[in-house]
Amino acid sequence: MDYILDVKNLTKRYENFTLNKVSFSLEKGKITGFIGRNGAGKTTTFKSLFNFVHPDTGDVVVFGKSFKENELDIKSRIGFVLGGASYYLNKKVKTITEAAKTFYSRWDDDEYRYYLEHFGIDDNKTVSKLSSGTKVKYALALALSHHAELLILDEPTSGLDPVSRDEILQIFLDLVERGITILFSTHITSDLDYCADNIIYIKNGEIIAENKLSVFIDQYQILEFNKEHLSEDLISKALGHRRTKNGTSLLFFKDVVVQEPHKRIKADLDAIMVHLEQENHL
Amino acid sequence: MIKLLKKELLLSFHPTAAIFVLMAAMVLIPNYPYYVAFFYSGLAAFFTCVTGRENNDVFFSLMLPISKSDIVKARYGYVLILELAQLILAVGFAFLRSALGFPSNEAGIEANVAMFGISLFMLSVFNLIFFAIYYRNIKKPGVAAIFASVTYFLLLGLFEMLVFFVPFARDKIDTADPLFWEYKLIILAVGIISFVIINAISYLSSIKNFEKQDI
Repeated sequence: MDYILDVKNLTKRYENFTLNKVSFSLEKGKITGFIGRNGAGKTTTFKSLFNFVHPDTGDVVVFGKSFKENELDIKSRIGFVLGGASYYLNKKVKTITEAAKTFYSRWDDDEYRYYLEHFGIDDNKTVSKLSSGTKVKYALALALSHHAELLILDEPTSGLDPVSRDEILQIFLDLVERGITILFSTHITSDLDYCADNIIYIKNGEIIAENKLSVFIDQYQILEFNKEHLSEDLISKALGHRRTKNGTSLLFFKDVVVQEPHKRIKADLDAIMVHLEQENHL
Repeated sequence: MIKLLKKELLLSFHPTAAIFVLMAAMVLIPNYPYYVAFFYSGLAAFFTCVTGRENNDVFFSLMLPISKSDIVKARYGYVLILELAQLILAVGFAFLRSALGFPSNEAGIEANVAMFGISLFMLSVFNLIFFAIYYRNIKKPGVAAIFASVTYFLLLGLFEMLVFFVPFARDKIDTADPLFWEYKLIILAVGIISFVIINAISYLSSIKNFEKQDI
């Protein structure tokens, strides 16, 4: 299969952290959520993709071309937003656009005007006067105005109120209908429930899951046990655990059969993530 | 290059840079060490880099179809334009000073051809040190500015002492133009050549350092 983005064995060693053989790929026209707790390696992965940091090893292929050898061509076909889209806070939006658009051969002024209106952005305002949600929308407007085919966004919904978050996610859904591919990192799992087709889960610098969202969720079950029925044997079979009001809940693969009395708890993405992250705290 | 400079002017230009360039007018001060005037264009480079850091300039630039070496090229080109604009302006003010019949400068070298040559050399050393350190760690332009500024003022002290203590420099170099043109033109030529060579070395090593740096 031809992937829009194909990442293989991306490794970056720091003194206290290692991004370890990160590999994943993106299908065209899908929304992929990149999840993991703070410090898991999401931003480092994004930075390594585009040479903000230099990976020790690994290959990044975008649109079938090596990023290293085709950096400028690839960058002209993607929209990449790091750091909450907060740039040049005291500059007017239109000044930033004026500076940015000259670098894109496919820049489309009509498209830009359309998105400013569609997203409700006043380009006479300075960036500091835009709300957090509007900053993200402006970054999207910039990307879409040069006909980006792939959008990569680092925590675009972080710090947004629920209504603004919902607006951004609805925009994502509109964009994938037009064949645009989206990868965005988040630690807000409900964002993914709402719009993601696939998820990539990173933990301690390693990809621990890459799957369709529904398949990922369906492979787990969460069972709650009271104190008397919790045994070492059960814990050893579990992938993670969590204290609850009535005892302890354990995360298992779906095919694990448990005889002890238990109560079944809904295994949504949030609950699965919380259990997986707590496996070492038993 | 035009696109990169346009971006620098639209997004990185800070009003203080214009004020610093206008410090060229300091050559109109009757008695003053005029080399100080050109330090301000070095300061403009520093403020541009600080403003860039506060505005996530490098992050934004790297998201555009721009390579890391293009970022260095844009900043270097922008700073050289500021420095040369200040020098050209100062040449104009030096002519004005001469036309107005100002007395000789008692606080340092005359505002003459040799002074411009030496200033070009000093600015190129400032750039060499500032950018070599800055592009190793763009989060700390202050460290780069301290080392570059200290070096600049040590050179300033050295060159001012030369025209004070060395008879040849005092009698032939520290004179109003057009006296002893032949010597002063040699100094100007050396200044221009060193400006080109040192900045070229500095530019290439800045690219190398910046390429290695993780952002």
